[in-house]
Amino acid sequence: MSQFVRGVLLSLVCLSLIGTADGAEPDAADSWWSFQPLREPDVPELSLFSGGDTGDGREFTAIDRFIIAAQREKGLTLSPEADRRTLIRRLYFDLTGLPPLPEEVEAFVLDSDPDAYGKLVEQLLESPRYGERWARHWLDVVHYGETHGYDKDKPRPNAYPYRDYVIRAFNEDRPYARFVQEQLAGDVLWPHTVDGIVATGFIAAGPWDFIGHAEVPEEKIDGKVARHLDRDDMVTTTMNAFCSLTVQCAQCHHHKRDPVSMKDYYALQAVFAAIDRADREYDADPETARRRLALKKVIADLEAVIKELEASIESNKTEEIRSMEDKIAAFEKSLAKYREIEGKTRSERYGYHSQVASNQNVEKWVQVDLGRVMAVDRVALFGADEYGFADFGFPHRFRVEVSQTSDVGGDDSELLLDGSGDFPRPGASPVVIEGRGAKGRYVRITATKLWNRRQQGQAETKDWIFALSEIAVVAEGVAVSLSPEVEALDSIEAGKRWGKANVIDGIYGRYPLAERTPQGIVAWLEEDAEGQQRRAMEAMVAERDAALRARMPETLRRHGAVREQLVGARKDLGRLPEPAKVYAGTVHTGSGAFKGRGHLGGRPRPIHVLRRGDVTRPGELVRPATVAGIVPGLPAEFDLAEDHVESDRRVALAKWITHPENTLTWRSIVNRVWHYHFGRGIVDTPNDFGRLGSTPSHPELLDWLAVEFRDGGGSMKDLHRLILKSAVYKQTSRNRAEDAEIDGSNQFLWRQNRRRLEAEAIRDAVMAVAGKLDLTMYGPSFMDFVIEKPEHSPHYEYHKADPNDPATHRRSIYRFLVRSQPQPFMDTLDCADPSELVDKRGETNTALQALAMLNNMYVVRMAEFFAERVRLEEDSVRRAFALALSRQPTAEEHRTLAAYAEAHGLSATCRLIFNLNEFSFVD
Amino acid sequence: MPSSHHQNTECVPRLSASQSRRAFLCQSGGGLGGIALASMLAQETARASSTTGGVLSAPHHPARAKRVVQLFMAGAASHLDLWDFKPALIKHHGEPSDFGEHVEAFQNGLGPWKKPVWDFKAYGASGKMISEPVAPLGEVIDDMAFIHNLVGKTGVHSQATYLQATGFDRPGFPGMGCWVSYGLGSMNDNLPTFVSLPDHRGFGSNGAKNWASAFLPAMHQGTIIRPGTPNPIVDLNPPKSARFITPASENAAHSVLARLNAAHAADRDGDTRLEARIKSYELAARMQLAAPEALDISKEPAYIKRLYGLAPEGKKWPSEINAAEEADYFGRKCLAARRLLERGVRFVQIWSGNDNSFPRRNWDSHEDVERDHGPLANGMAIGTAALINDLKERGMLEDTIILWTTEFGRMPSTQGTTGRDHNPYVFTNWLAGGGIKGGVTHGESDEWGYKPLDRRNPTEVYDIHATILHLLGIDHERLTFRKDSIDRRLTDVHGHVIEELLA
Repeated sequence: MSQFVRGVLLSLVCLSLIGTADGAEPDAADSWWSFQPLREPDVPELSLFSGGDTGDGREFTAIDRFIIAAQREKGLTLSPEADRRTLIRRLYFDLTGLPPLPEEVEAFVLDSDPDAYGKLVEQLLESPRYGERWARHWLDVVHYGETHGYDKDKPRPNAYPYRDYVIRAFNEDRPYARFVQEQLAGDVLWPHTVDGIVATGFIAAGPWDFIGHAEVPEEKIDGKVARHLDRDDMVTTTMNAFCSLTVQCAQCHHHKRDPVSMKDYYALQAVFAAIDRADREYDADPETARRRLALKKVIADLEAVIKELEASIESNKTEEIRSMEDKIAAFEKSLAKYREIEGKTRSERYGYHSQVASNQNVEKWVQVDLGRVMAVDRVALFGADEYGFADFGFPHRFRVEVSQTSDVGGDDSELLLDGSGDFPRPGASPVVIEGRGAKGRYVRITATKLWNRRQQGQAETKDWIFALSEIAVVAEGVAVSLSPEVEALDSIEAGKRWGKANVIDGIYGRYPLAERTPQGIVAWLEEDAEGQQRRAMEAMVAERDAALRARMPETLRRHGAVREQLVGARKDLGRLPEPAKVYAGTVHTGSGAFKGRGHLGGRPRPIHVLRRGDVTRPGELVRPATVAGIVPGLPAEFDLAEDHVESDRRVALAKWITHPENTLTWRSIVNRVWHYHFGRGIVDTPNDFGRLGSTPSHPELLDWLAVEFRDGGGSMKDLHRLILKSAVYKQTSRNRAEDAEIDGSNQFLWRQNRRRLEAEAIRDAVMAVAGKLDLTMYGPSFMDFVIEKPEHSPHYEYHKADPNDPATHRRSIYRFLVRSQPQPFMDTLDCADPSELVDKRGETNTALQALAMLNNMYVVRMAEFFAERVRLEEDSVRRAFALALSRQPTAEEHRTLAAYAEAHGLSATCRLIFNLNEFSFVD
Repeated sequence: MPSSHHQNTECVPRLSASQSRRAFLCQSGGGLGGIALASMLAQETARASSTTGGVLSAPHHPARAKRVVQLFMAGAASHLDLWDFKPALIKHHGEPSDFGEHVEAFQNGLGPWKKPVWDFKAYGASGKMISEPVAPLGEVIDDMAFIHNLVGKTGVHSQATYLQATGFDRPGFPGMGCWVSYGLGSMNDNLPTFVSLPDHRGFGSNGAKNWASAFLPAMHQGTIIRPGTPNPIVDLNPPKSARFITPASENAAHSVLARLNAAHAADRDGDTRLEARIKSYELAARMQLAAPEALDISKEPAYIKRLYGLAPEGKKWPSEINAAEEADYFGRKCLAARRLLERGVRFVQIWSGNDNSFPRRNWDSHEDVERDHGPLANGMAIGTAALINDLKERGMLEDTIILWTTEFGRMPSTQGTTGRDHNPYVFTNWLAGGGIKGGVTHGESDEWGYKPLDRRNPTEVYDIHATILHLLGIDHERLTFRKDSIDRRLTDVHGHVIEELLA
């Protein structure tokens, strides 16, 4: 490969450069375990085994039989059942992510009901905390985040409805097939449900290149790269999350080890070819949704009628009427100059913008040069149109001076406005200052009380500025053609938008000046030219309407009636509650560089196989399809009509994934659930069931679980019950030297795995035992940071958060997830990175973690709250210990901690308890 | 660590390195000092010679270097106005630009040819021409090796920053320092292995993701250090508001924690994580002492402060960007870097320039190259020249690699009247120290500085990364981590060691 070819490669090439450069077409008939049909294996007959396994009176479930059978082959045995204190703490963290209360522990320990454990499992599965705990696992897998990532890492304020959906789906035990289908195509399969819409937040969960989409059009190479990477993320997330198949490896060459060709990969991209990530509107109330849909239909129908009537009117117009209309058109054209210029025709030249000052009372000036000394009649100043203000940057106080020499403010200067008092906000109107014939060549505007730079409706910032859109000077009866030499004390000179030269470009706010000639400006300032024209036009319109009515009274009457209906329908539509928004995978109708496919009726982009993954080397055009052989007997290509719409593609993929015979889907999800219950999956690479992943430690158990789960209707809670009631789950986590000798990594589960708590569980447990955890569910995320400089790349300042702010005391699942600047405490504790597809949390032990647990301001503050909570208890130390660790301290522990509390206080003791190993590990 | 400033007359300054550290610990008073002191000093001799925690038990081949400093100019620094002298631009200045082909510019900055903003002069035995603001580097020019034919992939800041920092143009990949930490491990036991010194005015594109460990274990993540601030590492010390934490309570807490955790672990044999967590608290205590000491430049002699361009403490600066202020900021980071390297930090990343906001404090000079590049480049050059000289004087340059990089270059044509647009088609990197042959140039750009002179044989970031790993004793194709079916590496499936640059 030449250097040049290497140079244009996209950076996604996978392992295993075995074979030829492009690899061969993969073999569809594949002998790899995960591509074999799913069959329910026989449960091993435990009675066939001899020995003490059944001797302790425990009941063994089907799961146990598979596990014990495998252990027998290795000479391993199951460990004894853990005691109830251990079990309740394990179950609580496993199912709810929170510790039990000491009272709950005692009640469970003392419960004489033989099914006490079963009751506890049911109680916890019914707890709303369960959905919060398990939704977090799913959000890891789909790399859900609430900012875009990349440069300009802006917040996604409407991402959270998807997170709420996942919590709801777990709590309501949504059948898994429906859970999958909702996330890929709920908007079409269940169009009038909230969950159907917000579930498609799945498609948009990952990062998005704001600049590559919003500032670079799709026609440019950089724009193509950004959109290609965007679809790649959608395909990769979908296939890894639901199928544990690493199709992304086939982006630049056929998958070297698994039966995925480049064509398969790009055919999957075609499924998402019409989709972008954007806010999508929806109605939370199904009745409103139905009304909105009905009204939109009524409006469309009425508009069609009006169109017909207007065509008929048009064809019946006389010459006289047409001539009146020409005149009206001329008026309109002329008046358009006064009218707002929207969207793409808006000038990019906004005006002059000073450098930012950090206090309001700094002076800033801008001045124009008339070219020679003249008698000034008047000076008109116009505010800039930006951030929702028509007087953006217009100073509260300012001086206007004319000077004959460049020494403005010197002896040859005259003050037109002294700016001693606050000026009323001018809005979009010009501010006209009388010149009174003052003589001068330079006209200077000096802001003496600056304006606070902010967006409309946003809080004040620390930035103070002076901005103007236009300065127009009328001198000696004419508007002066100003020299291009505009001077300013300082200016940000940012692209076309802001530059001092813009104050004389004839464009103010969003409007051009009436005429760009000096005379035009004079006329515009001195006469109400707009009003005169408007009145003339209105008279002409009335005359034309009378003529029309005389000629076709019936058609006009109908036209009027239909229009009235239309106005009514539009009013009704306007009266509906504002639709809610979710950041989702959707057909986007946008403007500028980020147009999306809405303006093309949602027609999917053509997708080609890209040679070597290079957007400048498109090959064969592909149709939407998937990987052959995964659903035995089904072809790779979806059965879609020629005139199908984009959503048919997503529905087809969702149906294929949830097909009962799909060899990957059912195995994938039961393996994930197993992983979270045991700390390791039956397949230790939950996102990869291909040849480069691990093989299952218990293949028959995996298949048995998959079939049970699938045939039982895909109930997640039933799957939990199956696992949690097994003796394998309930055994102790203690080491046994003889078994460790044989299977040190505990692959065969001869004991339960001791688990280190994840960042979220630690944070939530800290707040829970401190008595501060706010269990409010759902809604916008809390922000444990302050956003500064939001205009460009927002700065997320975590150290400025207030640990006393109760808004930040909610569960971690409701934390606002920033991609570019992860929350340092959570990040240090191996929290999932929303830029990564996380199938397994990392688990490290670092000095920075110790520092975080010792010194993080939240942990430290919570230690104080924790101390307050237990201070009045009879034995504060004992109570604190039990709250944090779900057991009573030993005499030695109690003595040590009580002595410490005596010497250093209760807060310091509570902080110490947070830092015990036992707080962060569950046996 | 709570601040407690006992005046202890026994603590005498101006001692040997290890003695002065002892003095520092002494001054820092109570807190964890007592516990950490013994073990810290005991390890002193071992420090910086032994390594721990790397995945490679032995280097793939003998290493030429142990440490790396990566200087990153956020916003895209102009090769044409600093390093890559183009007489053709002077000759044709102001004439309509003609690239001989269709050019896709980021903001259509394809105005007339624009000559370099500053004069260039030849320096050193190599006679390498560099421009006026970076003239301070003339003194060490014969230690520097230039690559003028580096090519990028896109003109989008974020993708290009990722590419230079992580080798991939998307989120989700470890920074180069993470890979080095993963491969070689730490050379100290009280400071991070990989340190990032961000511009104090804000992060560059992608924020902290440029030094994140991504799929590598979190211990390899770059640690942000902010020299000169009360908490130079996040959570290094308890919040000031927490008055209940005192040196005495802290001291006792550590011994109680160690005791209770040891009992807990003893009852749960065979779980090395519990032991590791106990050790992490000892490490944390050591870091609380080592980090402030490493960053305390108050004892640096005046000539060193002068060398690095430092202004007196607490100097007030004008609101306009200016070279003296930039030199002070950048110099402080360079001096902190030297002190960290001396104490066994393996990889230091120094950033110049924040995200692309206004007023510009970054290198993205769409509007006015002179206004931004002048002060930024001069400040950078003063600090960098000082760092190279200082490392050389201490015998550390020979095994410390310096890399100067940025996301891409700038166009030879004019944008507006005084700016330049993005040029991902060619730009410049330079290297120095640690096994790099000084005074050479590898690869040239064409006569305009628009694309590589030899378009079929450009240099890519993979080659730079491969060369740096090579000098560290690592075969870039063999340092891998399996993630979702892919044995990931810093250089993807690319990269050639640039033999021409090896001393």
